[in-house]
Amino acid sequence: MDTKGILDIIQHNGENQAGLIAILEEIQAEYSYLPEEALRLVAKETGRSLADVYGVATFYKAFSLKPKGRHCISVCLGTACHVRGAQKIVEEFSQELGIKPGETTSDNEVTLETVNCLGACALGPTVVADGHYFPHVSRNKVSDIVDAARNGLETLDGKTDGRVFPLQVSCPVCRQSLMDPDHHIDGHPSVTLDASFNGRKDRVHLSSLYGSRAPASGNGVPHNSVTRLHCPHCQSEIPSFSDCLECGSPMAALYIREGCTWEVCTRRGCQGHMLNLNQIDLLKNDEGK
Amino acid sequence: MKTFQTVSEFNAYRTAIMDSTKDKKPCIVICGGTGGQASGSNDLIRIIKRRILEQNLHDKLSLRVTGCLGFCEMDPFIIVEPGYNLYPKLKMEDVPRIIDAAVKGEVVEELLYREPGSTVKRFSQQEIPFFQGQTRIVLGQNQNLDPIRIYDYLRMGGYAALEQALGKPDHEWIVHEILRAGLRGRGGAGFLTGKKWELARNAGGSGRKYIICNADEGDPGAYMDRSMLEGNPHAIIEGMIIAALAIKATHGIIYVRTEYPLAIKHATIAMRQARSLGLLGRNILGQGIDFDIEIFQGAGAFVCGEETALIKSIEGKMGEPRQRPPYPIAKGLFGHPTCINNVETLANVPYIVNHGAEAYAGIGVENNTGTKIFSLVGKIKNTGLVEVPLGTPISKVVHEIGGGPVGNAKIKAIQTGGPSGGCIPASMFDLPIDYNSLAKAGSIMGSGGMIVMDMNTCMVDVAKYFMSFLKEESCGKCFTCRKGTQRMYELLEDITLGRGTPEHLTLLEELAQTVKDTTMCGLGQSSPNPVLSTLRYFREEYERHINDKRCDAFVCKQLTGAPCQAACPVDTEPWRYVALVEKGDYEGAYRVIRSANPFPAVSARVCDRKCESRCSLGAGGGEAVAIRALKRFVTDRVEPSVYRPEPAEDKGRKVAVIGAGPAGITAAHQLSLLGYRITVFEAEKIPGGMLTCSLPAYRLPRDIVEKEIEGLMNKNISIEYGRALGKDVTIQSLLSQGFEAVFLAMGAHESLRLGLENEDVEGIFPSIEFLKDFNMRGKELARGHVGVIGGGNSAVDAARIALRQKEVTGVTLFYRRTRDEMPAHEEEIEAALEEGVRIETLVSPIKVHAGEGRLAGIECVKNRLGGIDASGRPTPVPIPGSEFTVNLDTLVVAIGERPGSGPLASMGLEVDKGGRVKADRNTLETSTKGVFAGGDLVTGPNTVIDAVASGKKAAHIIGRFLSGQPLVEPARPKLPGVYIEPAVFEESGEAPPRAVPASLPVSERVMNFREVESALTEEQARTESRRCLRCDLEFTMQQPAEKTAGAAIGGVRHD
Repeated sequence: MDTKGILDIIQHNGENQAGLIAILEEIQAEYSYLPEEALRLVAKETGRSLADVYGVATFYKAFSLKPKGRHCISVCLGTACHVRGAQKIVEEFSQELGIKPGETTSDNEVTLETVNCLGACALGPTVVADGHYFPHVSRNKVSDIVDAARNGLETLDGKTDGRVFPLQVSCPVCRQSLMDPDHHIDGHPSVTLDASFNGRKDRVHLSSLYGSRAPASGNGVPHNSVTRLHCPHCQSEIPSFSDCLECGSPMAALYIREGCTWEVCTRRGCQGHMLNLNQIDLLKNDEGK
Repeated sequence: MKTFQTVSEFNAYRTAIMDSTKDKKPCIVICGGTGGQASGSNDLIRIIKRRILEQNLHDKLSLRVTGCLGFCEMDPFIIVEPGYNLYPKLKMEDVPRIIDAAVKGEVVEELLYREPGSTVKRFSQQEIPFFQGQTRIVLGQNQNLDPIRIYDYLRMGGYAALEQALGKPDHEWIVHEILRAGLRGRGGAGFLTGKKWELARNAGGSGRKYIICNADEGDPGAYMDRSMLEGNPHAIIEGMIIAALAIKATHGIIYVRTEYPLAIKHATIAMRQARSLGLLGRNILGQGIDFDIEIFQGAGAFVCGEETALIKSIEGKMGEPRQRPPYPIAKGLFGHPTCINNVETLANVPYIVNHGAEAYAGIGVENNTGTKIFSLVGKIKNTGLVEVPLGTPISKVVHEIGGGPVGNAKIKAIQTGGPSGGCIPASMFDLPIDYNSLAKAGSIMGSGGMIVMDMNTCMVDVAKYFMSFLKEESCGKCFTCRKGTQRMYELLEDITLGRGTPEHLTLLEELAQTVKDTTMCGLGQSSPNPVLSTLRYFREEYERHINDKRCDAFVCKQLTGAPCQAACPVDTEPWRYVALVEKGDYEGAYRVIRSANPFPAVSARVCDRKCESRCSLGAGGGEAVAIRALKRFVTDRVEPSVYRPEPAEDKGRKVAVIGAGPAGITAAHQLSLLGYRITVFEAEKIPGGMLTCSLPAYRLPRDIVEKEIEGLMNKNISIEYGRALGKDVTIQSLLSQGFEAVFLAMGAHESLRLGLENEDVEGIFPSIEFLKDFNMRGKELARGHVGVIGGGNSAVDAARIALRQKEVTGVTLFYRRTRDEMPAHEEEIEAALEEGVRIETLVSPIKVHAGEGRLAGIECVKNRLGGIDASGRPTPVPIPGSEFTVNLDTLVVAIGERPGSGPLASMGLEVDKGGRVKADRNTLETSTKGVFAGGDLVTGPNTVIDAVASGKKAAHIIGRFLSGQPLVEPARPKLPGVYIEPAVFEESGEAPPRAVPASLPVSERVMNFREVESALTEEQARTESRRCLRCDLEFTMQQPAEKTAGAAIGGVRHD
């Protein structure tokens, strides 16, 4: 267990009693469950009895004291899903996976859960596998969902899938191309930028494929640090107009053409990005004030 | 972004944005909320962006990715502004066409929205009934903005209300304004928001004070809070800031469920944006007011929707409610005054400030002002979010906006208020939706979940579902809630498992009352509501589970067994013969069929297939197994002699059966096997009843009927033809002749009349007369242009028979509703159309034109569909001025039949208005001892298989009657009891489609009466049988003892 990581979590949640749920939520997000040592550490650091911490950890449904599998399938048992036969869907998953709800397959791959309501009531019965929603699930779709979860739901084939396509970007200041034809990622020329963090500099390459999950290459700046990104040609800092939707760090707006930008998160390791086709609005307003 | 220091500076910025955007570009609007994303809108968005970039369209077209638009049933859909063309349920490949059309200002007509089952295109969103019926003052904004762009919110006039609020030095006026608007808390209890704010404003001194936005939305089935926080987070934030001003709060918290990641994300982004403009945080717009909001993620506990539990949860404790007072307003979070408002309540605040209290109070009804958003979900056509003024009748929401039921299953109730709420039956759908009416009906408004339930929803199961939820979610502090919900659950479980007794209901009611009276918080006190309200309105369903061991919704598994078997009125085991077909044991299959049903070959042709409509394969997203076609395959192939039961020894006791139709013959046959001597009295010259007089030979060949009836005869049965009850015999005469019991099964042979003048002129025939004359006597009554009035099977049969008569030139069928409502079997209607019958819908005859004592034509009026009537169908409403005349040579009136029970009343039997004989549902006893009645005579026109079932039941009951046993035995659930080894076969990718038997081409059938449908080939039948999901195995696998017994005798149980 990463004691330092857990101490960090306790620290930035203020070490006070009120932060307990937020602390446990963060630990759960990190480990997918609440390890016993973590609970002991939290009790010690927040000055609460272990019984107290255990009480909270077992009161709320979001917390688990058991490790979960690599993939998680949650079947919604909200009322709307229930009247459309969600119970049968749970049974089908149970049969398909050979486990009961709340259990994990023996190969530690898949955990089956039920949830009170996902708030996607119009689409019931609804199933969420690793954050992907499956609407109107019927019994004969169950084995496909299990397969999809086991094989990884994030994969998109850039060659055949119309939803993934390469972008051509340039510096919003000097308008010179940022594409590097000599450095390919995902089979396309990559986007090259200079990154700096606390005086450390690095050349980074990003996949130019919109929708690609390939991480940026370059190791000069530490993981998770929020960097400043510069144009390798004119050295101007790439401006930011909005914050990352995933983590809140500033996003750098790379120029595609008038009004169109591709915004990428400046935090190393964050894959937050946005293809913005209405950028003109914000640019104008910024100029206007 | 620039941080503004003064109200006027911000005002200049805001108004500049509002003015600057007279954007005339077409805009593509698509939902990127949780629902949209779940339905694949992200894929569409990528394709749209790609197209815009690749075709260089960004200055000709904009794209707006919004939050939930409410019409979730149609997701993923696109709306193109300015025409508001709505394209529902899109696929990725449809997108480029829509984009290209949008750029040119054109519309892709074939992709436009149309009402299900209709061909009328709706060109704009406003023409769609789902939207037309709503008043979307809150939810409607979602469509106009991208929730991650504060710019969009400002452009629509966002934060103008805050500006106004800040503009006045004293903020107390806000409290008065909200009070005058009459806004009531949208979280469920409906407390006046203004009143709450007044108390909060006066609470405490100048210290810390909290405003909490409750977005816990724990009610399963409700999702409007998620959709608002996701789709328009700034409205909630603006509402919160205004609330903070009004009550002098210093800190804000949005308490949101962790199951709503996108809502958390959007709210976080919005707060960041508001802070950077200076609208949130320290010194808001330079006014010296500090107020900031943070997000607290609930960790999944329903009870935390209760305010004191919610507070404990933020304090880092277990979410157990505490005793009130002190109310949170006085002593809340960390001991400070705390005002808790629901998301939707806060979303209404900017509207009230912008438009004024009077305008707001003008929406809705007295004491229930404004709108309420409902999540209309479950068994309804248009699922989604619906915003209507309070006081709107339920029926409008369910039928007009919601579009009514999905498929044929009638809607029976709605459930509102989540686990603390209750069910309201369809008979009360006139009820206006307001806080008081719902409470009076035994439910509550709750947060706005409205779950529609139909005939396939079991109310006992619903109560059990909620109780299971509540026993899990009870915090455990009060013993009666913790244990009471547990015990109520167990009692309900017993009932659904077939272990229920009448005492269960007594105990349930007593327990429910105790829990209500002795628990502390709202969750505990309302926890018995699901039980009490279902018992109040659906007690019969509970009793059916307990007394008859039946779950008519087919939900409770231990009372249903294999659905195909449970659906069959004569208790056939379809799963069993389908499995035997798979094994190639066709004789075994025949024995299974025949042991339950004396009319296998007839049923194989005309059964209405209740088994197929309940087949798990069909219910699970595929096509039902073609069970009837497999039965036909078996009966065509196997000689009936493989199953010839021998009658028991003659007991020398006589029973009279009236009517030689399927009910009468079945009863006679079954009674004869018990050793009774049966005399059947039949008014016609041949047996068969409706099988021969009404059903056309192309559906049911005559030799099949004759052969089947002949096979049922034995030495104990004699039939006297041409002997009618009331004319040749009476009940009294039969009883005095030594018949110890009489079974009345004369069917329903009297056609209903139109009730128009001239109805008796030459050329007009009641359908039964028309059909009988042809089917039994070969007389062709029709000629020239034939009109048929009606939409049921007799009408379609009459039309198709008329078409086959020599002197007929054409046949038109007139029906008063639309084709969707026609009660005839869909395939019969299809066949009639194929053969050339014209069907005119939405017309009613109003006058018969006659000339020289003969039919000349009819005058009709056109109808439109009106409100839903008692039968659950829309009422046809005549359109004045739409009258027209049709010239006809023949008219067949087929608007329904009724039993010809006239003479029975004079023999002392009770008969109802519809001519139906009154008989006990369980014992078939009439008001005269020893006289039993069944079939159409009791039910009115019904199916063949129901008549056979009635005959079977009558034989059983009469047997018990004659042997002096109690007529009814204690019910047992009918579960599969014989194990048949499932087939093992390679899974070969695509599952085969449902088998379709060959049928005669139209050209070869229209002029004759050859049977239209053939049997499946052997290969088809074997393949089809392998599609069966074998629902029986779940019950038979656990009984290894019977496993061997079943296998030894070819899977046939000798019982």
